[in-house]
Amino acid sequence: MSTASIIRIALFAYLAIFFSYLLGPLVVMSLTAFNSAAFPSVSPWACYTYEWFDVLFNDKHIKEGIYYSVIIGLGTVALSVSMGLAASIVLTQVWAKFRSTYYTLIIAPILVPGVVLGISTLVFWDRFGDFIRAGDGSMLDGLFHNGIFLTILGQSSFIASYCMLVFVARLQRFDPGLTEAALDLGATHTQAFRKILLPFMRPAIASASVLAFLASFENYNTTTFTIVKYKTLTTVLAQKVRLGINPSISALAFIIIMMTIILALGFETYRRNNARKEAVRLGKAKESKGFLPGFLTGNPAAIVLVLVSFVVISMIGTAQSYSPQQCKAEVLAAKKAEVAKAIKALKLKRTIKQQSDSLKGPDIFTPDPANKKGSFGGVFDPNNLTNEEPAKPEAPAANKKPASGAFGGVFDPNNLQKD
Amino acid sequence: MKKKMIFSEFFRNNGVIMGSALMGLVGFWLIFLVILPQLSMLDYSFRFNLPPADVGTAKDVYTLSNYEHLLYGSDKTHATFNTVDLMVFVRTIIAAIMVTLFNIVLCYPLAYFLGQSKGSGLARLLVVLLIIPYWINEILRAFALRIIFGDSGLLNETLMLLHLTKEPIDFIRQDIALYAGLGYAYILLMLFPMYNVIESLDRNQIEAARDMGASWTRIHRRIVIPHAKPGIVSGATMVFMLSAGALAAPQILGGPSSLWFTQLVYQWFNDSLNWQQGAAYAIVLLISTILIVLTVMRIFKVNMGDIGK
Repeated sequence: MSTASIIRIALFAYLAIFFSYLLGPLVVMSLTAFNSAAFPSVSPWACYTYEWFDVLFNDKHIKEGIYYSVIIGLGTVALSVSMGLAASIVLTQVWAKFRSTYYTLIIAPILVPGVVLGISTLVFWDRFGDFIRAGDGSMLDGLFHNGIFLTILGQSSFIASYCMLVFVARLQRFDPGLTEAALDLGATHTQAFRKILLPFMRPAIASASVLAFLASFENYNTTTFTIVKYKTLTTVLAQKVRLGINPSISALAFIIIMMTIILALGFETYRRNNARKEAVRLGKAKESKGFLPGFLTGNPAAIVLVLVSFVVISMIGTAQSYSPQQCKAEVLAAKKAEVAKAIKALKLKRTIKQQSDSLKGPDIFTPDPANKKGSFGGVFDPNNLTNEEPAKPEAPAANKKPASGAFGGVFDPNNLQKD
Repeated sequence: MKKKMIFSEFFRNNGVIMGSALMGLVGFWLIFLVILPQLSMLDYSFRFNLPPADVGTAKDVYTLSNYEHLLYGSDKTHATFNTVDLMVFVRTIIAAIMVTLFNIVLCYPLAYFLGQSKGSGLARLLVVLLIIPYWINEILRAFALRIIFGDSGLLNETLMLLHLTKEPIDFIRQDIALYAGLGYAYILLMLFPMYNVIESLDRNQIEAARDMGASWTRIHRRIVIPHAKPGIVSGATMVFMLSAGALAAPQILGGPSSLWFTQLVYQWFNDSLNWQQGAAYAIVLLISTILIVLTVMRIFKVNMGDIGK
């Protein structure tokens, strides 16, 4: 075997490992959304079900979280895009000696841990309120302790830096001569900005807005400190994941993943389609005459996009009529049989142990491994207990069922109805 | 007087309305969102945690007690060190460094591959595939790993199916899940800066070196890595700062007995309601991570201007 082919094989093995590390967890998580087991898992596959989507859509905490996330996202986009644009324009004009200091200052928020930004925002506005003597109950006092206001400010402090980077890249290609020409022809500075610079920056503003909104939407570290009494999608999710997991979170993840894939494919399709049209116009490629519609030829992204949308539509279609009741009943029966078996085995063990204990005497008594597992959970704090409990495959199944039911009911009233 | 001249020039270039709008926005951002909050947090960390009635009275004096607590714990004699918190701190920093190194090693080959196969179909597809996980919430990504690393998770089931292990391995308690999750969370922030600089490398340089008989390792050591250095350092800086300051992954994937330093900060704020103490811990985290980054940048001779390219 030649060295070249060894390198080739190594490269593909490496790519496979890298991408399974990157995408594997997402695939597994998506699959768990369709398993009827109350704890998100794929390996003991129970039934194919859509019930977790129902649970998700009826969850009022998540709905509320999304609502506030969108409000905060829009506020953050408005604030951080304008601050980032201003900062990037100032960067092109700032006094040369001061430039690197200034750049360090406006890039620094990216590097400051989000936790620190959240805390500093919270502390500063609390004290600022005291400083300007906004008494209790006044409007300003309410504003400075309002979670939405604080979160927008806290997030903007570093998202503006991201926006600034996008704008700087675009501004490097701007010809300042255009503005000068406009000014010479008698435009005011405001007009020159609105008619010359702003249209030039429009693509950058669009991408910075998308970036800012996404960054705001998925921020957790800063938000968890500044949000105070409100909740965003991420804080709701974090709370749910920490207190007890159920597959409705996987269902949400699946929806987000599908949306991302469709958007990415749509963008890619659009780009390739334009490139192809351009090629046809220049006479480099032939107009297609295949049996496929024009926009599909030579455009794998479009084909995948059509397939994905087809799968999604058929899924939504079947979800209306599909019901896994039959399968669930079977699983339940199987579980009951298993529980009965486990209890029997436990009883047998206990009698054997009792016999041996009475023979050996109590001083060399060692706890039964099955018992040990049960008391084990008490060691950690209660939150962990709920997390660990359903995950014990060896623990008697009798334990498993009520535990998952109980904790499911704690954090999500809708689960109760399902049961 | 020089300063005044700069400002007047700035206003002459931009007009009064635009000039003040620009100045106002940048000023608001830097002063009210960045500088003053950090300063007020610094100030806060030197104060006692007083009941509201005592704030501003004679009792409200500066103190080092919050920092002493990190060093010595509640022991007033300063005889013993606060080993619990200090260990958490050291572990956080070391683990963040390890995560960063792991990401560099994992990303470098892919960045090189993508950077050198310009615009080929496979490379484009891979870039699209890379962007997808980046759009998924940090919490959901940690949750995905929790499903895989749990006691009855996919990994344990597979290992048991293959008879590699009899008992499920507790990946969460052993912090394997945490390190995998941190590496997973910020891997793309390492990849893209690296990819950007390697893409700008002229292929002819590599071919010239190869024609001259340079070995494969030598080409990377003498040509590709020196060229990619700003990208590597910029990616490493971001990954290090973000993993040291991560909160979601340790909360979701961390074992019950081991803590991340940010979790201590979180506890001081939300559980103990001692903001001053929490601010002191946050300051320690901020300053030590910045010092580490500056040291690394000094050693590898990279400027601040290279970050974020």
